[in-house]
Amino acid sequence: MGRYAYSRQLQDGLIVTGMRDRISWGLYITTFVFFIGISHAGTLISAILRVSQARWRTPITRMAEFITVVALVCGAMFVIIDLGRPDRVLNVIIYGRWQSPIIWDVLAITTYITASVAYLFLPMIPDLALFRDRLAGRASAWRRWLYDLLSVRWQGTPLQWRSMHAAITTAMILIIPIAVSVHTVVSWIFAMTLREPWNSTIFGAFFVAGAIFSGIATLIIVMAVLRKVYHLEEYITEKHFVYLGYLMAAFTLIMMYGNISEYLVTGYKMEEGAEFHFRQLFLEQFAGFYWFYFIGGLVVPGLLILLPWTRNIWGIVAAAVLVDAAMWVERYFIVVTGFRVPLMPYDPSSYAPSWVELSVVAAGFALFALLITLFVKVFPIIAVWEVAEDLESAEFVPAAGRLPSGAAPEPAGGGN
Amino acid sequence: MKNVVKALLLSVVMGAAIFALAGSADASHTKLDVVAPSQLTVGDSVDIQAVLHAAHGGEAIAGATVTFYMDGSFGGIDGEVILGQAITDENGIAALNYQPRAAGEHQLRVEYLTPGASEPEETTWSHTVTGATGQLYMSSAGVQIPGLNVWLLIAVVASVWVILLSVALRVVAIANAGSGATGAR
Repeated sequence: MGRYAYSRQLQDGLIVTGMRDRISWGLYITTFVFFIGISHAGTLISAILRVSQARWRTPITRMAEFITVVALVCGAMFVIIDLGRPDRVLNVIIYGRWQSPIIWDVLAITTYITASVAYLFLPMIPDLALFRDRLAGRASAWRRWLYDLLSVRWQGTPLQWRSMHAAITTAMILIIPIAVSVHTVVSWIFAMTLREPWNSTIFGAFFVAGAIFSGIATLIIVMAVLRKVYHLEEYITEKHFVYLGYLMAAFTLIMMYGNISEYLVTGYKMEEGAEFHFRQLFLEQFAGFYWFYFIGGLVVPGLLILLPWTRNIWGIVAAAVLVDAAMWVERYFIVVTGFRVPLMPYDPSSYAPSWVELSVVAAGFALFALLITLFVKVFPIIAVWEVAEDLESAEFVPAAGRLPSGAAPEPAGGGN
Repeated sequence: MKNVVKALLLSVVMGAAIFALAGSADASHTKLDVVAPSQLTVGDSVDIQAVLHAAHGGEAIAGATVTFYMDGSFGGIDGEVILGQAITDENGIAALNYQPRAAGEHQLRVEYLTPGASEPEETTWSHTVTGATGQLYMSSAGVQIPGLNVWLLIAVVASVWVILLSVALRVVAIANAGSGATGAR
């Protein structure tokens, strides 16, 4: 359906969408911003927790890194879809100007994709070598070839371990500022314009916080699904959900603070255009979206995590689903309400997504799920060597152990 | 009978007079001329003067609205673009400021619609624009901070990619170390 819808768009042009001259961004840019946001899952869990040496992260690191790479690919795809004609991507290279936030965005996202792929690949090398050696006679020829190629002749020598640790350290330190810069620059595409609702100095920080927030939520959902499907209860425990839930609860507070700070300051001055925006956002056309986002996406998830009765896997997954839905809705009303505030004395325009946009966006989410599934089928879903290291430390520090004594980590999700 | 013939003749004469008057309303009572240089350079700022006067007698017509059009092309569609409108002064002159942005041969059409007429009075002005077509807008505002420019951005991006390259070289080092270990076995 999504492919047919996109073929219609390619054939007839963007006229088949609900976007017009006054509201020229809609579902596609909303989904682009959302996907770039959830890509921060990998950076947060994998890089920040690795830097801070939080050892509980090890079983979920790889999933977070998968999400990052897949979300970036899907997000970048939506920008190309939004262009109408994909060949116009070349115009960015041919006619791009260094002074344009669009160029900054292209640079930031391409750098982030490259760094994320490197950061996914590096810690996976020992596990790929494990697959290469253990599945030598069992895997199909193409998979053997793939593991052989990607394991880069890993033999586990001290020199190789040193080189790998050095590369991971460099990448994890580098990827944090890159990730922060990516969502800051995405916010600048809006904030560098003179449109009333986007004319904000905290947009960058607000977007980065929102990105990490939705990234954690997506990670919790993916963790819950993979845990169930691949029976990873032994490795991914309630403790992982609760710890991630605490992080998410902290971000509900940060997001509430951002909302209050932004709207109180703007509303107190109530410059031209702000009144129109406040009416459409809080009372009229977009009030349903906004209040769902604030109450359903910030207040309720915070309560689900903080109240002891719901602080369990189901409660935290429910909170994560609400957060992801609300963050997508937040991106939607940021994009559309910004364009709706009239710049000149004309009647405000309206936007309603067409079936083509809805189908393409649904296909985008389906592609996200498909790519995660394919990754999980082919590559080790859990960082085996890191979990093994954890087990070794657990032998010396029993209190730190979470896995049952003697439980050998096995590649889950792939290898058979 | 005589009266009937007289009445018929009078009707014919009056009808002919009305027809003649109506015809001359559509035919031009006014004359429109354009006064402007025919050679311009990209970025020049000139006033195009449309001079409106009565066709017979040459009296200036004041307070009339004159519209200026130019051929344009946007998004693959060709057509006329309204450059603007101006009202004639006591000398019958309506002036519009014009700043050519693209080199080449151009044509402007100037139009005046006499009240009550169906056909407008119009004239065209052809002109040649020389010079390079480029960006004309130059921002006058801004604060120049030494060192804070595009080169800084390029330097930051280049540094990041150099570090990423160093990570890639580490992977090469892992592969080389692995081939050494395999050979030693």
